[in-house]
Amino acid sequence: MLDHRQGPGMPDELMIKAGLPAGAGRGLFEAPTYTCSHCQAIVVLNPLRRRERAWCRHCDHYICDGCGLSLAQTGICRPLKRVIAELIEAADRGQPRDPLVWSTKLLLP
Amino acid sequence: MAKRSISFASVTTAATADAVALGNTTYPTILQGGSGTQRINIIEVMLGGQSGSTSQPQIMLLSRDSTVGVTLGATSTVDSAFDSATAALAAAPISGNAFTTAPQRQAAGHLMNFSFNAYGGAARWLAKDGEEVNLLGNTQPLGEVSLSAFTGTTAGAIGGHLIYEPF
Repeated sequence: MLDHRQGPGMPDELMIKAGLPAGAGRGLFEAPTYTCSHCQAIVVLNPLRRRERAWCRHCDHYICDGCGLSLAQTGICRPLKRVIAELIEAADRGQPRDPLVWSTKLLLP
Repeated sequence: MAKRSISFASVTTAATADAVALGNTTYPTILQGGSGTQRINIIEVMLGGQSGSTSQPQIMLLSRDSTVGVTLGATSTVDSAFDSATAALAAAPISGNAFTTAPQRQAAGHLMNFSFNAYGGAARWLAKDGEEVNLLGNTQPLGEVSLSAFTGTTAGAIGGHLIYEPF
C-alpha cells in the first residue's frame, strides 16, 4: 500500500524505477504481492502487466523475473526455505559450514 | 514464538549506496538473528513520512546485508513483544540503527522497495501467510536484513515499524 492522498506524491520515473506502474506514486495505490520462493524478493503485482509471471514447476510457486530467467537458463530450483532447512539440519548434525551453501551467489537470481 | 515489533519514532534518512557502511541513526533499523541457528520471519513493514512542508522522496530498501552490524550502540529504535506474557529469549534478535561496525546492504540482496514521499506519504507491506521473508543465523547473507535509504533519497524524517517473529 502506498498512500499519497495527503501529499504531492512521487514522480512516475521513480516509481517505474522501483518496479511499480506509472501513477503508483499518486493517490492511494494498493496491490497484492507474492514472495519469490527462490530468492524471497517481494514482487508487487502490477495490475497493468499482461506478460505472464515466472512460475517454477519444481517447487510449484511463482518466482520473480530474475529467478525465472535463471531457472530457464539453468533448470535449477533451489527455494530459499529448502536452503534454510538444509543449513539447520547440517547445524544439528554438527557439520561445518559449507562455504558453497552459504555463498551469496546461490541467492542471486 | 511471539511476534515482536521494532518501532522507530523518527529517523532522518541519509542516502547510502550498496556495500557502503550505513551511518548510525540514518536508517530505520536492521534485524539480525540472536544466534547462529535462529530463524526469524519478517511479517510487516510500515513507513510514514514526517516532513512538514518539503517534498522529500524516499527510496527505502528492505535488503539482506553483506556486512552485519557488530556491537549495538545508542539506537533510536524500540523492540517490544506484542504479547505481555512473552518470555525473554535466551538469544534475543538484535535490532537497532547504531553499530560500532556498521552494516552494509548487499547489492544483490534487495527484497523490497518502498518508494514514497516523506511529505504526506506512507507505505506498508504485509506478508501473506507462508510468504514471510526468512532469516537464518547471525551472519551474512541470511542472518541480517536492513531497512535503509538508497541512493537518490532526499534526506527526510520518517517513522514506522517492522513486525517479525523469532523462532
